[in-house]
Amino acid sequence: MLHCWSCKTLEEEPTPFCPSCRKIQPVGRTEDYFSLLGLPRQFAVDRAEVEKRFRELSRSLHPDRFAKAEARERRLSLERATRLNDAFRYLKDWRLRAAYLLKLAGTDVFAEGKTFADPEFLEEQLEWREAMAVAQADGDGPALVAIAERARERLAALEAEVAACFEDEHWFSDLVLDIARRLSRARYYDNIIADARRAGASLQT
Amino acid sequence: MPRAIGIDLGTTNSLVALVDERNRPQVLPVDEGRPLLPSAVFYAPDGAVEVGAAARRLAPERPVDTILSVKRFMGRGPGDIRPEDRGIYRFDESGAVVRLEVGGGARKVTPIEVSAEILRRLRRHAADALGEAPGGCVITVPAYFDDAQRQATKDAGRLAGLDVLRLLNEPTAAALAYGLDKRAQGTFAVYDLGGGTFDVSILRLDAGVFEVLSTGGDTHLGGDDFDRVLARKLLAEGLAQRIEDPSPGVLRATVAAAQRIRETLTTEEAVEAEVELPEGLRLTVRLTRAELEALIQPVVDRTTGPTRDALRDARVAKVDGVVLVGGATRTPLVRRHVRELFGQEPLTDLDPDTVVALGAAVQADALERGGREDVLLLDVIPLSLGVEMMGGVVEKIILRNSTIPASATQGFTTYADGQTGMVVHVVQGERELARDCRSLARFTLKGIPPMPAGIARVEISYAVDADGILQVSARELTTGIEQRIQVKPTYGLTEDEVEQMLVESIEHAEEDVSERFLREWRVEGDRIVSALETAFGMDGELLTPAERARIEEKIAGLREAMAGSDFLAVKAWIESVDAATKEFAERRMNKHIAKAMSGHRVVEFADQPPATGSKDSDLESGEGG
Repeated sequence: MLHCWSCKTLEEEPTPFCPSCRKIQPVGRTEDYFSLLGLPRQFAVDRAEVEKRFRELSRSLHPDRFAKAEARERRLSLERATRLNDAFRYLKDWRLRAAYLLKLAGTDVFAEGKTFADPEFLEEQLEWREAMAVAQADGDGPALVAIAERARERLAALEAEVAACFEDEHWFSDLVLDIARRLSRARYYDNIIADARRAGASLQT
Repeated sequence: MPRAIGIDLGTTNSLVALVDERNRPQVLPVDEGRPLLPSAVFYAPDGAVEVGAAARRLAPERPVDTILSVKRFMGRGPGDIRPEDRGIYRFDESGAVVRLEVGGGARKVTPIEVSAEILRRLRRHAADALGEAPGGCVITVPAYFDDAQRQATKDAGRLAGLDVLRLLNEPTAAALAYGLDKRAQGTFAVYDLGGGTFDVSILRLDAGVFEVLSTGGDTHLGGDDFDRVLARKLLAEGLAQRIEDPSPGVLRATVAAAQRIRETLTTEEAVEAEVELPEGLRLTVRLTRAELEALIQPVVDRTTGPTRDALRDARVAKVDGVVLVGGATRTPLVRRHVRELFGQEPLTDLDPDTVVALGAAVQADALERGGREDVLLLDVIPLSLGVEMMGGVVEKIILRNSTIPASATQGFTTYADGQTGMVVHVVQGERELARDCRSLARFTLKGIPPMPAGIARVEISYAVDADGILQVSARELTTGIEQRIQVKPTYGLTEDEVEQMLVESIEHAEEDVSERFLREWRVEGDRIVSALETAFGMDGELLTPAERARIEEKIAGLREAMAGSDFLAVKAWIESVDAATKEFAERRMNKHIAKAMSGHRVVEFADQPPATGSKDSDLESGEGG
């Protein structure tokens, strides 16, 4: 239970604005990135819906609306707008969204180490690196483009797999490691794509 | 209610605008009846200060005491100023901030003070026009300004007695003026080539929301560079007798002549002129537009890279319109270049000199009135913010092009046993190594209780406000010790500027990446070797001599690989050590769990790498999807 800092009205749930006096309120302890955007806590999201809500909320919470307000309201607006932007950044990216769900479920898998033990993937990683090294050595631009394209296909497949994992109603007890492993692999493919792009760019110059 | 004002604090010219009673943004006449106030400040030996056209006229005669293009020095520390920008000024770089010696050497002023003179003058004119002191104010900055440059600009505003409501990125301001004027919808590019800076931003305009998707640029590229290359040619070819080392006065006068010639060639095909220079020198000029264009082509070409990068970062292949901003975009060659870059005719309905100030006025007015229902600006940070890690590599905490305000927190741990302090080095830029990024601040988190390496949990939080200015705090979680700093840059770049950093981050990308991996894996190798040595000391009895020998053999291999330069080899050996010690780790785990059920965590050296950086932001380095 919370009381509005301004008019002391009791609030049932954390809200951006006090229902009674309309003053902006601090972010509640129970608010997460999903609830901040008014979305259910689940992996499947409608991108257009996320954008729509983000913009609607931004209109009322952005510090621009509080430039001349008293210091406390300015601070609260900055806090809320910051959290809203963070939430938007997380929820629109499937990797961040999945990692965030794992964290909310109490399994901050990436906290235990920077890389994730995935011995089966090791061999594949070396193959990618070798393909990359060969393409670079040959100055083969189209090969680099093809590598990035293949990595993008793998990413799309991983996203579908992660989505399927989250469909399982027991994911938080049974599939956490499967999801984490896929996120770790996704990061690897992201790096491949970025490296291929940089290598391609340096070929052109 | 007092009326808010918008200020375009430009490299060459500055302007002030406001929204009038009929709700239209207007620029105010400032200098001798014109809206453009030359960004020139003259300091007389007697302490008098002259600003604007009058100061600019004094420049050839009093070159050292007349500061032009002061914007290039904003937020720069000693050793930060580029050689070509130093020009003829005398710098005092003994303190933390650069000072310029003016007034015949009688006075030392910081770039912030010089800018404040310009702002003060604009404020006075606004007050005259309004008949009262203006209310809040919005000052525009290049989107590509880093934290230090933004801070400096805000400080200048405060120094001039302005209530700075917000710093606004110049291209965003232009888009605001343009979008509202034309009721535009869709994806737009703003190509802003001013006197000294180049910015390009990609924005999405939708139902009054101006969302910046990406931004790029070069804080050292602009019309000034055109003048500089032209002046060099004029001095080399236009004098009856070549002079080896032209005086500051001659240089200034030549640059001023170059500017006039360039402007003439915007409309004329050729120029023939005789220019009187100080010291009885005479410049004979005969130049065609084609010759000028050949000369400045390389400068114009430097806008291509940042533009392509911005389009790529925004993930758009095509835009619905291109808005031109900045006096240098009047140059026919620049327009042709933009047309080729974007495959379409740029929009030129609004005056490129005033559009930024008009946008600033609109935003100032909105802020003063508590925001507008119909307009929302969502801007981004131009450069990633990170922290230096073990081995000098940068861990990015907030990625560039993140919508502001933004925040992010990252967990770190201690590297050595009993470590009680941790140096937090805050950097900005895209390069992999801290020494190649702009250093913003460095502080030490003290009072971490002595614990074995890797146990302490330190959280570093970055928060960027709506002006793009950073605040950093660090917290040790087991004791709750917290340190908070507003990032006030102590020193700046070595020589590279932000722009240089970006260019280099692309050029050196590969070298960086493998160097980064190598450092990281070496650090990891060190950690494993020392953890194993500790473990041998504590629990050596858990191994048979043969098992021990096999592990030692692997360690020797790892050490050898670490001395080399192939990170893949280091990585492979680490994995091999891990495999060889797995059994040992399990035995130790069992022994310690049996011994103490108190919940102490055993060092799991057979596990994968260290808890140096964590999770969320690691993932964030990927492409959004």
